[in-house]
Amino acid sequence: MIFPLYPDVLGESSWMVLGTLLGIGFGLSLEGAGFGRAENLAAQFYGTDFRVLKVMFGAIVTAMVGMTVLSGIGWLDLSRVEVPPTFLWAQAVGGLLLGIGFIISGYCPGTAWVSTVSGHLDGLFTILGVLAGSLVFGMIYPWIEGLYVAGSMGVVRLPDLLGLPQAVVTAAVLAMAFGAFLFGEWVEKAMARRGNDSPPPADPRVRNRVFLGLGVAAVAGLGLMAVPPARTPVPAMPVAEAISPLDLATRLVEDPASMTVVDLRDPGTCRGARIPGALCAADDDPTWNALQNLPSNRTLVLYGDETPQALPDSLAGRPGPVLVLQGGYGAFAREILEEPRLSDSPGPEEIRLYRVRAALHGHFTGSQAAPTPVAVPRAVPATQPVVRKGGGC
Amino acid sequence: MNERPFWNPYLAGVVLGLVLLAAFVLAGNGLGASGAANRTAIAVAHAIAPKATEANPYFGEYVGPGKNPWKDWLVFEVLGVLIGGGLGAWLGGRARFTTRMGPRMTSRAKRLALAFLGGLIMGFAARLARGCTSGQALTGGSLLSLGSWVFMMAVFGGGYLLAPLLRRAWR
Repeated sequence: MIFPLYPDVLGESSWMVLGTLLGIGFGLSLEGAGFGRAENLAAQFYGTDFRVLKVMFGAIVTAMVGMTVLSGIGWLDLSRVEVPPTFLWAQAVGGLLLGIGFIISGYCPGTAWVSTVSGHLDGLFTILGVLAGSLVFGMIYPWIEGLYVAGSMGVVRLPDLLGLPQAVVTAAVLAMAFGAFLFGEWVEKAMARRGNDSPPPADPRVRNRVFLGLGVAAVAGLGLMAVPPARTPVPAMPVAEAISPLDLATRLVEDPASMTVVDLRDPGTCRGARIPGALCAADDDPTWNALQNLPSNRTLVLYGDETPQALPDSLAGRPGPVLVLQGGYGAFAREILEEPRLSDSPGPEEIRLYRVRAALHGHFTGSQAAPTPVAVPRAVPATQPVVRKGGGC
Repeated sequence: MNERPFWNPYLAGVVLGLVLLAAFVLAGNGLGASGAANRTAIAVAHAIAPKATEANPYFGEYVGPGKNPWKDWLVFEVLGVLIGGGLGAWLGGRARFTTRMGPRMTSRAKRLALAFLGGLIMGFAARLARGCTSGQALTGGSLLSLGSWVFMMAVFGGGYLLAPLLRRAWR
């Protein structure tokens, strides 16, 4: 089984139970970390105790390294984990304000819940403030909607932004975190010396073991990059019928609006050369979403390299027709995109086919120098031109 | 009961990270804390002024015919946080009815007013940023989301910016 599970797999009530159980773990960790007490959190901003940084970054890098390894061995499908989308300005301004609220109240929202159930009145007042703040936001929302959507960039993950593999970014962030931890400890000691105080209790052995464990896991994540990703066995094409390159080309010319052609090869190959007008859809979520919303009277044509590709699960239940191109892109390239040739002594049928292919070739390659016309033997009735010129892509 | 010391912060970080990882793996979802507060606030507002709440373009997403603001994963997750946090404090002998404040803060009323004010700002900020330190920094940060890292840096920036002015409250 590949994780994550979803409510449709799990059932709604077990889903809620799972949420509660994970919340219990979350609450126990926050409380155990000392975050039920405002002074422990505020100390971060005076340099005397970097507990907030250590716990928060420690948790971030642990989960990050874990996900990298689990997706590396194929147990977790990272593309199905919900990533918060980026709204650059809304998040920058929101973060700044949240930091300001944090140092005023001494809590962040999560730790305020923990403080409240630890019996602390200031935690409860912070929660009441958070409730009020949510309402204020909603009430003035019409006036600040512009800021709320400012800097909208969709889902942007650092590996995509930097063009680096997940495991490499993971290792780099982990190295940064180690540096930040050691810097924090250095500041703690310096502040203690200045204030004639003792630094917060620390156990270097625990720290070193944590560093070692995370480091080994991150290196394992890097090593897993060398292992080819385990391909889940692709089910045989269930319902899709085949269409020949010639038929596809003809239909594309005659009625291009009736069909959407999708290139399933990897995006780089697709962008290099594809059937004119085809969408590159491998691993491209927005495109897939758009495909699922296609009107059902539109024919979807899929193609891969040579062999027909399996129908993606998401399209298996599509109401409209789905066709698969016989022989994939290779066949289309040979029959349509390459200039057709006649044998030395063509028969009437060969000449008819040649004319169709020549016209299609001209249409799809834009080659104005159409192949030299061939005299049609009188015996053959003149074929209707199959191709309506122009109006293509 | 004697108070037991808090966990080593690095260990606490790893444990919290494993809980977060479990959330991703099992549920495909991270953790959050302000979402449940938002839904609670909207449910309360809806109980007091149903029409006005439903007519509001932001609240209307959560309440109305066929919508229940409580019926959300985040609400159950925070319910768990309350259970887990209370359990931890009780088992560690750290639970007591008190108000936490800095050594030089003498007025409880002033401390509670600051707590409320800070909460107010955070409640607003968490809606604007679509999450708080849990939903954005922890969750989005470990997923390497660009906006979440910007958010996290801004939180530290905001905190350090104002900390000198609030020295009397904490040091």
